[in-house]
Amino acid sequence: MSNVATPTNRVESFALNGVFAAISFALLAALPFATRSGPDKSGWWTQPWTMPLIALTVLCIGNAVTLFLAGRDLMANRPTGDEVAAARAAIFGWFRPIEFFAYFLGYIWLLGRAGYFLSTALFIQFLLFRVGLRQRKWIVAGLAAALALTAIFRWGLGIWVPTADLYGLFPDAMRKFASKWF
Amino acid sequence: MDFLLLGLEQLARWDVALSMVAGAVIGVIVGAIPGAGAAVTIAILLPTTFAMDPLVGITLLLGVYCGSAYGCAIPAVLINTPGSPVAVLTAVEAYPMTMRGEGRRAMSIAYSSSFVGGIVAVAAMIFLTRPLAEFASRFGSAEFAMVALFALVLVVVGHVGQRVEAAAALSFGLFLATVGVDRAFNTQRFTFDHTFLMSGMPLVPVVIGLFAMSQAIVQMTDRSGPSPQHKLTGRFFDGFFEIFRYPVTLFGSSAFGVMCGILPGVGEFLAQQVSYTVAKRFARTRDQFGKGSPEGIIVSEATNNAVPPAAFIPMLALGIPGEELTAMMLAVFLVHNVIPGPQLFIDRPEFVAGLYTTLLLMNVVIIVFLMVATRWIALVATVEKRFVGAMILTLALVGTYATNYRLSDPLLALCFGFLGYVLRRHKWPVTPVLLGLVMGPIVEGRFRQALGTANGDFSVFVARPISAAMVIAIVVLIGLAIRGEWKRRKPLEEWQINAD
Repeated sequence: MSNVATPTNRVESFALNGVFAAISFALLAALPFATRSGPDKSGWWTQPWTMPLIALTVLCIGNAVTLFLAGRDLMANRPTGDEVAAARAAIFGWFRPIEFFAYFLGYIWLLGRAGYFLSTALFIQFLLFRVGLRQRKWIVAGLAAALALTAIFRWGLGIWVPTADLYGLFPDAMRKFASKWF
Repeated sequence: MDFLLLGLEQLARWDVALSMVAGAVIGVIVGAIPGAGAAVTIAILLPTTFAMDPLVGITLLLGVYCGSAYGCAIPAVLINTPGSPVAVLTAVEAYPMTMRGEGRRAMSIAYSSSFVGGIVAVAAMIFLTRPLAEFASRFGSAEFAMVALFALVLVVVGHVGQRVEAAAALSFGLFLATVGVDRAFNTQRFTFDHTFLMSGMPLVPVVIGLFAMSQAIVQMTDRSGPSPQHKLTGRFFDGFFEIFRYPVTLFGSSAFGVMCGILPGVGEFLAQQVSYTVAKRFARTRDQFGKGSPEGIIVSEATNNAVPPAAFIPMLALGIPGEELTAMMLAVFLVHNVIPGPQLFIDRPEFVAGLYTTLLLMNVVIIVFLMVATRWIALVATVEKRFVGAMILTLALVGTYATNYRLSDPLLALCFGFLGYVLRRHKWPVTPVLLGLVMGPIVEGRFRQALGTANGDFSVFVARPISAAMVIAIVVLIGLAIRGEWKRRKPLEEWQINAD
């Protein structure tokens, strides 16, 4: 809901429309290299490139229209210095998800090394720390959540995860137990 | 009668009954958590249902779908924050009642209106789907192609004020649907020789990225903190039968919700807004609207809850999903080799009967659960958003990586998560991307088939009455949409002239 309440910065919108338009035109330009024609005897309507061509053309037109409208709005009412500065900050904000997504990749990497429960518990604790939830109650809630997820997905639904390298260090019985349940 | 008995027989299976209860409980709880919601939950649960029996998996997701429609009223009543945007008008009407010490009355009005809306919609589904499917059995490829195109046009037109953006998003989804090996000629399209793209753009990572991961980031970066919760006061059963004092509003809103559910692209939000606007003009207590009107809650909740079951009517009869949740459901159907359309009623009557009965009883299960557990569910309404975001991102692993154990899937989900986040930040519609992705193969296949049989003669689309009527409807809709957009943009032009 929070994103709905935030007013869109016009300069940021223009930049985003520009990026979308550039990507869509690049995809359209790649069409001849990324698709091949079928036999000549079949009509153009059956060709493998027909549907991507139609979809990408509409995409390019849509993005060109939004880019034009955003540009016209900026030309009619020049952005203030504050607006440009806010847009710059907002554009950097686009990359905020990358930080979290990097943690997510780390979580996947850890899964094969520490097992589902431990990697999930560490991932949740790390995320909660990064988003500012650092009190004891959140640490406990994060651990409880990791345990609950393990119970649902490993014990309940039996979701398979690769055997963790860490469990190889355990005695045989304990390794089997940990591999099966955690 | 035999059909209903067949449905009850399906429901007597312990796994179906269990998934119905589990789905309903999960749905109500996630509906009550602002920012979680049905789309995110279904996106995460989607891959776990692939291993289940079709009816069990679909029942679980249906429970989430229906339960969340009830649950989102809880934070609307308690903290003036709708569990999902569709309950925004419930908050407008219910919260003032809570402030007056009538929280329980508002809650029970919301529940019972939701119940009536849901039951009316399921009844409509039972009576309308089969005739529609029988009618559709006369369709050829040209008719199906035009119905699918009509649905896509409706999706775009339904995004009032954002039609250009919706058209771009939809066409992006249609483009994504073309990625992979083209079955007709066995040639690659936009795979760039990556083997993981050969079988097409995998739906699950796209759905999880667009709906769950992007929402997780939005939640984790939200520093607004939990809203203060008001204590529920008043008598719980006060409002349960009060709704029948406004029969026209109750059944009119439900019927309107059904109509909007049947039309692709309209969705709960728009249905509720239009229904509320109309009721505000004609309702018996219209002067009370906006100040805590029970009739206002009835309009909002009855319309909201009538939409989801009604959205199944075109999906089951024609195989055309109208919004993101039915698009996800269609994916589940296809994974289980259940092909919606006229043939489904002939080949799998037990499945359809089971679905009807489940939906009907689902509403009863949910209302009973809410009557028993509202006070505890209310506690989750104020969960810290950043915690919810962290949980969503954690859960996304199961859906993206633990399904196929391919690193390409989470990477793809991350890309779509990034796209979804940027789109959400700019209030661009996300749903048309998914609808385009799901509908793309249907549209392309039907068009190829229709034109192939007519040797490329485009008059095939106007040669038969149903198809011709669809063509006219599409042209009229596009014309009206362009006119509407032109009028909407005009004030800007006039303002510009003045500025110059």
